[in-house]
Amino acid sequence: MGERVLEEALRTLEVLVCVGPGGVGKTTVSASLALQSAIAGREAMVCTIDPARRLANALGLEEFGNVEMTIPQEVWSGADLSPGAPLHAMMLDMKRSWDDLISRTASEELRERIFANRFYQALSTVLAGSQEYIAMEKLWELRNDRGYPLIVLDTPPTAHALDFLDAPDRLLGFMGNDAARFFLNPAAKAGRFGMKLASLGTGFVLKQLSRVAGGQTLEELGAFLSALSSLNEGFNERARGVKALLRHEKTGFVLVTTPAPERLNEVIHFHDLLVQSDMRPVAIVVNRVHQAPDAELSLQAAALDGTLREHVEATIAEARLLADRDQLGIRRLQQEVKTPLIIVPRLPHDVHDLRGLAATAEHLLTPARG
Amino acid sequence: MVSGKGGVGKSATAAALALASARRGRRTLICEVNADELIPPLLGHAPVGPEVTRLEEHLWSVNLRPAEAMKEYVLMTLKLEALYRAVFENRLVRSFLRFIPSIQELVLLGKATWHVRETDDRGRHVWDTVVLDGPATGHFVSFVSVPQVLMDTVPPGPIRRDAEIMRGLLVDPAITGAVLVALPEELPVTETLELATSLRERVSLPLVGGVLNTWVSERFDAGMFEQLSEWPRLKELARAQHAAAERSRWALDKLQGHLGAPVHKVPRIYSEQFGREQIERMSRALEPLVAGSADHG
Repeated sequence: MGERVLEEALRTLEVLVCVGPGGVGKTTVSASLALQSAIAGREAMVCTIDPARRLANALGLEEFGNVEMTIPQEVWSGADLSPGAPLHAMMLDMKRSWDDLISRTASEELRERIFANRFYQALSTVLAGSQEYIAMEKLWELRNDRGYPLIVLDTPPTAHALDFLDAPDRLLGFMGNDAARFFLNPAAKAGRFGMKLASLGTGFVLKQLSRVAGGQTLEELGAFLSALSSLNEGFNERARGVKALLRHEKTGFVLVTTPAPERLNEVIHFHDLLVQSDMRPVAIVVNRVHQAPDAELSLQAAALDGTLREHVEATIAEARLLADRDQLGIRRLQQEVKTPLIIVPRLPHDVHDLRGLAATAEHLLTPARG
Repeated sequence: MVSGKGGVGKSATAAALALASARRGRRTLICEVNADELIPPLLGHAPVGPEVTRLEEHLWSVNLRPAEAMKEYVLMTLKLEALYRAVFENRLVRSFLRFIPSIQELVLLGKATWHVRETDDRGRHVWDTVVLDGPATGHFVSFVSVPQVLMDTVPPGPIRRDAEIMRGLLVDPAITGAVLVALPEELPVTETLELATSLRERVSLPLVGGVLNTWVSERFDAGMFEQLSEWPRLKELARAQHAAAERSRWALDKLQGHLGAPVHKVPRIYSEQFGREQIERMSRALEPLVAGSADHG
């Protein structure tokens, strides 16, 4: 096909979401795309929720928990680059994002009650799964409040892909309708959750639920949920906003993977999931592709002697196997998905700085393989 | 319990450990958790789904999924299938349970630890070894913290009681050991060490070993580089190999220095496909780790 899909995406889209398995270089790709946008003169924000805090290092920023930072001039000049527009970066702090969300939507008195609740404390800090929702929420907020021309969002690995795409629905499903009414009826707000519900004729269901969860647990949970329920409209509106944003015509998804065969099922599955959910994959970035050694190298090696020749030939053979393996993976992707592939060769060193990001960006902008 | 940064070969390592354990004649169960079921296919078998299924001699596998695990968990408490249906397949209750994120982790971990305790009619343990292919680094600490979180969050009751039992198993070095997998690259090594610290300080999960996957041995020395100076492209190739070997050595030193558990090298495998044959090779490299934990009982 030969389209420059990512160049066009950087020019025309407003939100790019980078998704894919863990350890394939998603954070690097996200940062490179935002960097390239800034170099080309379109202001960009890259937002990562990666707990490993890698982006900070690559961008020359020390720590940036939930604070929008602008890449300072000395980092640009240190890398011998000059931006055509500002580049911003942010590392998502889950706990703070949840607190912000509550602060934004709750009255002061309610806020204190929610912050003090043990369920809220667990939800906002340690509970697995809640980071997916808060990432989406933050994306929506950045997009609505801050007016960045382009936002690039880095995401958690695909083991939780479904949770991730599903996050707004999950919240809507609970807060949105009869479920919320069932648990959050006015009686529950009085704090006597279990008993009042029992008297409302839902007693059977609730009694059994209590046997599993413990009656007091339900009561505390009830108190938490009823506090949240007054936020219902605010929550709902936001969750609907997030859902719509992911399907917006100015939003695109970039799937990132390596060509290793054991990753591909995951990537193909995620790609199908995006398409089924009406979300648009713009490109699949196949990262860290090994280059095949050419025939000339083998000829040169044949002129060597003894152990040296053995070692050189073994090294060439290994490199060739890795390159063959990668080509096999690329062919499989070409057969199974229609989205254009962008091939990024394995770089000799880990990407740690702006120069490395810029080098990656050059490869990202090469024409796609159909 | 096997964990590591995404993409380091965590599932392959879990498969290799399970295979090595089965080879020693131990009844071994592989538990995958809410995954796309990678391990049975890696070992050349069909995916098994949510039922414990025999793969080969001494080796069984199961893919734990939240919905099924939840059902079993609740059935064990409620005892009646009809009651379960009436209550837990109620649309409202389902949406409620989906909203509480750690309930999923609780039942998955609960099911896995139940297998650890599972006994036959004569009261003997069914499994000699349960290999859990855990979530990747970022989610692993939250996963294994769930019992503690619930003990701190939930008032006394059935959930709290189960959480206490699970926690007891997880922190017992005679029963549980974490195996952390890394690659010879800076970020995976750093993340592995961070994970080890979190496990030690926040969860008290005993660590039995580190695995340094895709280890590359040194092949070229200074004399050889000298000889290659006439062939700059060959020299460049040799340099790249040498750099990979140096990274391996650096990672090994770093892990050995800071992990607080023995580190096992698994040599890099060069092949077009990745399947049974490659897992067998990894499994041979991991023999000492399995032998070590078997000796502890």
